Order: sequence, then C-alpha cells, then structure tokens
Amino acid sequence: MKNTNSQKIRLGLFVIIGTTLFVLAVYLIGQKQNMFQNTFTISAYFQNVNGLQKGNNVRYSGINIGTVKNIVMTNDSTIKVDMNIEEGIIAHIKKNAIATIGSDGLVGNMIVNIVPGKGTDEVIADGDIIASYSKIGADDILSTLSVSSENAAILTSDLIKITDAMIKGKGTLAVLLNDTIMAKELRQSVTNLKVASRDASNTISEINQIITSLKTNDNTVLGMLLNDSVSGQNLKVIVSNLEASSKQIQNVIANIDTTIVDFNSGDGAYNYIVNDTTLVNSLQSTLKNINEGTDKFNQNMEALKHNFLIRGYFRKLEKQKEKEERKKQQ
Amino acid sequence: MEIGELTYFTIRFFKEVFRRPYEFKEFLRQCYSIGNRSLLLVGITGFIIGLVLTLQTRPTLMEFGAVSWMPSMVGISIVREIGPMITALVCAGKIGSGIGAELGSMRVTEQIDAMEVSGTNPFKYLVVTRVMATTLMIPLLVIFGDAIALYGSYLVEHLKGDVSFALYFNQVFDSLEFGDIVPATVKSFFFGLAIGLVGCFKGYYCKKGTAGVGIAANSAVVFTSLLLFIIDFIAVFVADIFYDL
Amino acid sequence: MKKQQAILEKDKKKESSEEVVLELQDLNKSFDDNHVLKHFSMKLYKGENLVVMGKSGSGKSVMIKCLVGLMEADSGKIIVMHHDITSLNQESLDILRADIGFLFQGSALYDSMTVRENLEFPLRHHYKKLGKNVNTETLVIEALKNVGLAHTLDLMPAELSGGMQRRVALARTLILQPKIILYDEPTSGLDPITAKEIIILMQDIQKKYNTSSLIITHDVDCARVIADRMILLIDGTNYAEGTFEELSASKDPKVKAFFKQ
Repeated sequence: MKNTNSQKIRLGLFVIIGTTLFVLAVYLIGQKQNMFQNTFTISAYFQNVNGLQKGNNVRYSGINIGTVKNIVMTNDSTIKVDMNIEEGIIAHIKKNAIATIGSDGLVGNMIVNIVPGKGTDEVIADGDIIASYSKIGADDILSTLSVSSENAAILTSDLIKITDAMIKGKGTLAVLLNDTIMAKELRQSVTNLKVASRDASNTISEINQIITSLKTNDNTVLGMLLNDSVSGQNLKVIVSNLEASSKQIQNVIANIDTTIVDFNSGDGAYNYIVNDTTLVNSLQSTLKNINEGTDKFNQNMEALKHNFLIRGYFRKLEKQKEKEERKKQQ
Repeated sequence: MEIGELTYFTIRFFKEVFRRPYEFKEFLRQCYSIGNRSLLLVGITGFIIGLVLTLQTRPTLMEFGAVSWMPSMVGISIVREIGPMITALVCAGKIGSGIGAELGSMRVTEQIDAMEVSGTNPFKYLVVTRVMATTLMIPLLVIFGDAIALYGSYLVEHLKGDVSFALYFNQVFDSLEFGDIVPATVKSFFFGLAIGLVGCFKGYYCKKGTAGVGIAANSAVVFTSLLLFIIDFIAVFVADIFYDL
Repeated sequence: MKKQQAILEKDKKKESSEEVVLELQDLNKSFDDNHVLKHFSMKLYKGENLVVMGKSGSGKSVMIKCLVGLMEADSGKIIVMHHDITSLNQESLDILRADIGFLFQGSALYDSMTVRENLEFPLRHHYKKLGKNVNTETLVIEALKNVGLAHTLDLMPAELSGGMQRRVALARTLILQPKIILYDEPTSGLDPITAKEIIILMQDIQKKYNTSSLIITHDVDCARVIADRMILLIDGTNYAEGTFEELSASKDPKVKAFFKQ
C-alpha cells in the first residue's frame, strides 16, 4: 500500500468527478423535462392524438414550454391530454388558446402546439381546459381548394383585362374572325367555364346546405367540429371565395359573350389586330390557362366530393338519383 | 452445476456483505485499483467508440439529410447501450481476468488458507471487497466512458459539420430521458456485480496448479462476457416494462 | 548420545505431565473414491517436535489442514488444547487459531503486500490475544529480527529469495506467539543449505518459546535433525511410530523404503 494518501486522493477525485457528471446529466435531463420547475397543468380534449406520448413536448408559438403529462381516454371518442406547463409562461397563455397536435419535423416526435386564440381573453389558470383542433383529412383538401380559387381569381382578372381591351376595340378581331380554330377554342373554353361555374355554384350551395344542416345539428361530432374549430371557419372562407370567383367567372363569360357578338356583327379594328401578334399569342396562352384552370377546378370539385366529410352527402345524392332512375325504369 | 455453485457463491456474498467486520481499507484499495486503474482503458475505448460510431453513421444519415439527428442518435445509443456494454466488456477483460488470476494464484499458493488461519475471513477480505468495488466502480466508469464517447462523437461532428459544443450537448440532452439513463445506470451496477462475482468465484475455487490459474482467469472473462449479455438482455426487458419504451 | 538424553528427558516430562496439546482420533477423509485418511490417530505432547512422514499424496497436507479447520474431516475427532475443533463455531475457532501457527508449503506470503503488511496481517484480528497496548511496529521488527531479516521490512515478497520468503513466513507465523506450530513441508523447494538454516531456526524457536511442533515432511534429513518422535503415514494410516533411530532401524520393507537413499 505505497502512496496510500495520493491513492486516496485520486480515488476521491475519480468518485467525485464521476458522481458530478452523473448528477449533471440527471439535472440536465430533468431540466429538459421540467422536473425541477414549478409547473401547472392544463388539458385539452382531442378525437385523435396521432401517436402522442407521455413526455412529448408542448410548444406555445414555437417555444418549448412543457411536456405531456398524461393521456387518458375519457369516453369512446374523446381523449384528454394533460400538459405540464412552466409556471413562468402562464401569464402569456389566454383562455382562448387552441391546442393542436403536430409533428416535430418530417418523421419526428409528436408535439402539442398551443396557438394563441384571436382577440383577448383572461389569462389561463391551473387545471383549465383549452379548445383543441384536430387535424382531419378535409383540412388538406380545403387548403388546396382555397389555393385553386385564388388561381381562378387571378385568371379571371387577367381575362377581364383582355376582354376590356377587346371591348375598347383594340382586340384582335380580324385574326379571331379568320382563325376559326381559335374561335372554336374560345367557345369551348367559354362553355367549359360555364360548366365549371355551374358546378362550382352547385357545390357551393351543397356545401352551404351541409353547413346549415350541421349547424342545426350541434350535437353531432361534425357539428361541434365545424362550429367550434378553425376548420369550420376555413370552410366558410373558402366557400365565400368560391362564390366570389364563380361570380367573376360569370362576369367574364358575359364579357366574352358580348365580344363574340361583336365579332359576329363585323365591328372592330382589323388593322390593329393584324399587326398585334403578341396580343394574339397572349390571348392564346390565356385561353390555354383558362382551360387548365377549369380542369383543376373540376378536379378540386371531384376531390371535395370524395372527401369523407362531404362524401356521405354526395353518395346520398347519387343513391337518390339511382333510386329515381330505378323508379323511372319500373 | 456451475451456475448452482455461482448462485451459492452469490448468496454467500450477500450474507457476508452486511456482516461485520467491514474491510474498509481493503475496499478502498480495490476501488482504487479497479476504478482509477481502468479509467485510461475505458476512456480510450469510449473515445474511439464515440468517434467510430459517428463516422460510420454519418454517411447513412447524410443520405437521408438527417445529419442534424446525429447528437440525439449517438447520445441515445451510447447512454443506453453502447457505453455500459463496452465499458463492462472492457472491464470484464481487465478486471475480471485480473481478479480471477489474482485470487486463483492466492488459492494455489495457499495464501487464502493462510489468511483463514490468521483469523481473517478471506471471503470477506478478498471477495466482498472486490465485488463491492466492482459493483460501485463500474457504474462510475460507465459514466466516464459515456462522457468521453460523447465527447469523441462531438469532435467528429465539430470537425465535419461545424457543430458547436453547446448545440451538440443541448441536442444530446434534449433527446435523453430518465427512461434512458436510469435503466442504463441500474444495469451497470449489475454489470459490476457480475464482473466481480464471476471473477472472484473463478479465482476463489481455482483448481490446483499454475494451469488452474490460467483457466480461472480465462474462464472468468468468458463467463463474465456471456453473463453481461444475458444481464443486458434481461435489463432491456425489465426497462421495457418500467418505462414503456 | 546427547539427543537420546534429550529424548529421555522429554519422555520423563511426558510421563510426569502427559499434557496432550493436540490429538487426532480416528480421522477419516476421502475425496470421491480416494480415501486419503483411514482411521488416523495421533497425539502431540507439549514441547515436543513430532515429525509426520509420508509419500507425496499420502494425505499429510490434508491431515494438517483438517487440524486447523481448513478442511473438514469426514469423521473423527480433532482435539486442539482440549477443544474439539469440529464442533467449534467460527468465532471460537478463530480464537483458537491464534494459538496455532501454520507455516505453509510455499510460504504463502501475500504478494500484494510488503513484508511489514504481511506480518501485520495476523495481528489485525488477533491483537486481542496480545493485549491492547501492543505496538505492532515493535512486534513486527522483533519477529523479523528473530529470523534475521529486519532489513526487508518494506520489500515486496517477490523481491526476496525463496529462503528469505520462508523465513518471513516463519516470522509471520511466530508473531502471534503460538503454542503449537504446524509446519507443512518447511524445507520443500529449498536448497539443502537453506533448508538446514530453516531447520536450525525452527529448533531455536522451539527452545525459545517452548512450543510444540508438528512437522510434515518427506525430507529424511530434516526429520533426522529435528524429530523427537516420528510417525510414518502410509496408506492413510498411522503405520509406524517411534524415534528416528527406531524407525530407521526397522525391518519393515515399507518403513525401510523411506530411509533408503
């Protein structure tokens, strides 16, 4: 046992450093999990938690503010999620905040995002229950719908410009008159537009019907969802957009109709048109765009029909049609 | 047969641990020779493992564009599995065989008998102190091994991906949970116990002759390594139940 | 002549006191099918040097280990200073062991400790016997001086020669001032000169502390010098008993085989 004292010191250092490292690691992990901070609990109800687990992070406007404490089924379709939230953040969360479940990155952990609600409200308190917003499939389709209706709006404004120009006599009348293919295309697109706008207005009225029926049946899950949640609002916005754009389309159609009438009556400035080839080209591309746009619009409408929310409604319609046909056959 | 004897040996160990007199001085000496003397070896192994693990995983993660996951991935795999296992295996080689050979030669040269005759319980003096020392020192060595391995991994990330120290360790600790660190630590206590017990068992009941010492040292390592994997397997199961991974 | 006189003197002593310090009665020990000891009995009187001779593997070492409780006999009685050690608990056995010195075959010095620590080791538990105010330092130095190795105090056993190791081991045995000393092959593995030194040392000690010694050996020279009385252990039994002269003059072929060299 030579150098016993220096051995003891080194052993002591070894043990102390090791223990310190361990305690530090435990502390750091604990800090990440808010184990050593005062926390309060809030809850939210979800229909689907998409694989959320105990200990997953809770974020408020993107900042980690706590962890999921517990996940319990309260009845056959509702899941209560309790969250531990850092006490320091309490002053910033209002009672109208909305909890959603999202994922952290492409294949990351599930997280609870708390989004501030619109307007002002009281500060949240321990044990409060905040509103939730479950992501459902309709969401995605509705968002693409809104994009396509925006596209339609751009398209129609372009069309308006062109038709304005036509009405003012700058149009490419001679070319259009001689170019029968072009004229046919124009007619075709006009009829397409008509069909599309008719479809759109049909769908819109149908959606309106659904919404009103849902509104009247507040007790259904869907009714709850649409009335309370953001998706309902979104749906309304989109529907109004759709209405607006279809009105615009109708305007365009009316404009085009008048131009065509002008064509037929033989009015217009031949010279302008003969020289103005760029205008012709742009008109052609615009027509193409219109065709594509209406195609997409129809696709969206199809998608909307297939969406599970509204699918049932369309199916009912189809079934009714079939029934009527059967009756007729009989 | 052997397992039965080892079980009896283990029971005897637990009976003797709490019985006076405590051989505290010898215990400290063993702690020193087991803990401090293995630190360098564990450190080097840990460093290289951290380095290699990161280098090997990098290309795959690059393919997925997920290099930023490196700290969490390496952190979890080191803390949960690789750190404890590598440290325990290295220690089984170094400490287990050392104890096996030392006690074996003491048995062969009748030093153990001499101890018993001079009124010292050799089981207490030799076995209990060593097993206690390994049981307490291996977890510490595992912590050192983990820390050094993570540092090695950080160095690679720092040099190749320009990740800062704070970011790296923030991400490591972000991904770690108590469900990772607690079972790993508990597990390493059992690793230490296994290394000490098997080493002592093989040495203490060493067969006569110099060949017996060799066999004791060798079989201590082999048996310990096997036992480590079995313990690891059981530990994963138990951790699964407790932490619902 | 001198020797015979000494023996006669001792015989007288025995007759007068007849103090038996160690007695084996009908000892049996077998390993699986190998019956090493069969109904072995012997007595060790106070102050005598008893040599037990036998071939290798004849059970000498087993017998001596049974004496201090390192091995358990299958049957038979072992009475050490009026205590049957087979019935003693660990604690009383340890106390009794303080009175029995044991010199192991290969010295059995703890090779992880210095000579000083080796000598201090038996004191750790048996200091009570020597009284509480004993200075271990002086005891250790005194014991080393007895064997003439005071300068080796802080060396490791590996740094010592075989003979020195044996002497340190002897010093370690003596440090508790035992009443009985058991020697297991005290001269094995040593050259004849060193062996002689050890034997002389053993005799000195015997004179100095008036201990009783049980010496196990197969070394005839050793036996000739030191034996007051001899027992031949053949086939696990007490085959022949007597002084060296008596036995060496025996006509029995098995006994003769030992002295034929």
